Amino acid sequence: MNDDRSTELDRMRYTKNTASSRLALLAIVFDVLFFISIYKSDVKTYYYTATIGGSIIYNLVFLLAVFLCSEGVKKYQTVYSWVMIVLGILQIARIFIIPMDAHRTIIGSEPVMGNAQFIFTVACLALSAVCLFAGAVINLKKSRDLSAHLASLQA
Amino acid sequence: MAELQLQHLDKIYDNNVQAVYDFNLDVADGELIVLVGPSGCGKSTTLRMVAGLEDITHGKLLLDGRDITAAPAKDRDMAMVFQNYALYGHMTIYENMAFSLTLRRENPNVIHKKVMAAAEILDLTAQLNKKPAQLSGGQRQRVAMGRAIVRSPKVFLFDEPLSNLDAKLRGATRREILLLHKRLNATILYVTHDQTEALTLADRIVCMSMGHVQQIGTPLELYDSPDNTFVATFIGLPPMNMLDTVFEDGKLKGKGFEVSLEADEQALLAPWNGKPVILGVRPEYIAEGGDLNIRVSSNENLGMNTLVHGTIADGVRITAKFRNWMNYKNGDLVPVHFTRKLFFDPETTRAIRKEGK
Repeated sequence: MNDDRSTELDRMRYTKNTASSRLALLAIVFDVLFFISIYKSDVKTYYYTATIGGSIIYNLVFLLAVFLCSEGVKKYQTVYSWVMIVLGILQIARIFIIPMDAHRTIIGSEPVMGNAQFIFTVACLALSAVCLFAGAVINLKKSRDLSAHLASLQA
Repeated sequence: MAELQLQHLDKIYDNNVQAVYDFNLDVADGELIVLVGPSGCGKSTTLRMVAGLEDITHGKLLLDGRDITAAPAKDRDMAMVFQNYALYGHMTIYENMAFSLTLRRENPNVIHKKVMAAAEILDLTAQLNKKPAQLSGGQRQRVAMGRAIVRSPKVFLFDEPLSNLDAKLRGATRREILLLHKRLNATILYVTHDQTEALTLADRIVCMSMGHVQQIGTPLELYDSPDNTFVATFIGLPPMNMLDTVFEDGKLKGKGFEVSLEADEQALLAPWNGKPVILGVRPEYIAEGGDLNIRVSSNENLGMNTLVHGTIADGVRITAKFRNWMNYKNGDLVPVHFTRKLFFDPETTRAIRKEGK
């Protein structure tokens, strides 16, 4: 192991995992963009439903959970990586609930969600998921490296 | 490290109050200079002028021969340690120490090496992941010093860094600063109002009063040969006894007491014959036995020493410091003599001594 790599590992003992933490916060930003786009829609007969109510509650839970994850991964805690992966999978799954369903539902002669909004919301959820996966993977790698480094120091 | 020259520095505030008058000092490379004086004497203002936190009204400031009088603080390559530590409460100790280098966008690995080296010197390695609130006052002050060390500045400036610490911690941190100075061989300007700190830390002391430099010299010079009554009474604890006398018939005559003088002392005071002279006697220059009597008013046992406060003759107050544990009672008469005497001219307050001393 070269000197720079060794210093980099040692530095992790005292510095936070800001990369993973920031990716988690970015995932929140994409989720916020997603729900702003959904909730500002004015097709009341479609949106005032239990699905939207559930979506609102899930968003609140998601915001809290991801924020906690962003704090957890700052300290290289691996359990938060797994939570982020699960939340990322759920973000992908959400693509097939509201955006897909609203895009397929026709009220009058127009779809509830037009093409542009559909692409935008799908992109937001997908990017949110990508950020969560990337943050989780980075944290897993860094925390493993840090554990190995700490073990080598104790040896 | 660096040489610092302060040439004829004046500080006049906008309201025309002059805080510093004609300050001159050459600081050699690796020297620890202590600016000492009572509150409001201009010592912190001088330090702040050197740091670039106050404008210099008149005079020049040179660092390694380069004129930095008008240079902004950030370009002076100096690091200042404040009395109140000035640490960021939301950052860890590591982040606090690395902060200035992070702002300069230095390589993170280089920053890490510097922080770890400073932490090692200051015995802070185990505290690096903690927040300032979790540390003791002494540890926080060490962090403040660490933050200065990582910058590798040419000059360190300390502004009463130990004032917030209790007496025990102050002593311990003072020794650490001394060790640090020896280890880094750093050029240091250190401000304090505590003469004990000044005497124990300094290579040279600058004693100030009312914006004027009173004396510059080694701690021993200031203690042993004060230039004037201010320095004589400011340096030394308890302060020097100053007795009003008149030199007549080869003796110093005060209100109801007389002090005999040696031949060389009489020769020294010959020009003051018939004139008033202030006799300066440090409490530790008073020994038991002799023809003067102290009427005891209080007796303070300090362990190794005893301070005896009282009066000689007509209510002239005097304090003596005896080496042993004494138990004098109020009203006791203690015969004493003076083992060493200093003389001052009451008109000028300047010391009367042989040329060249």
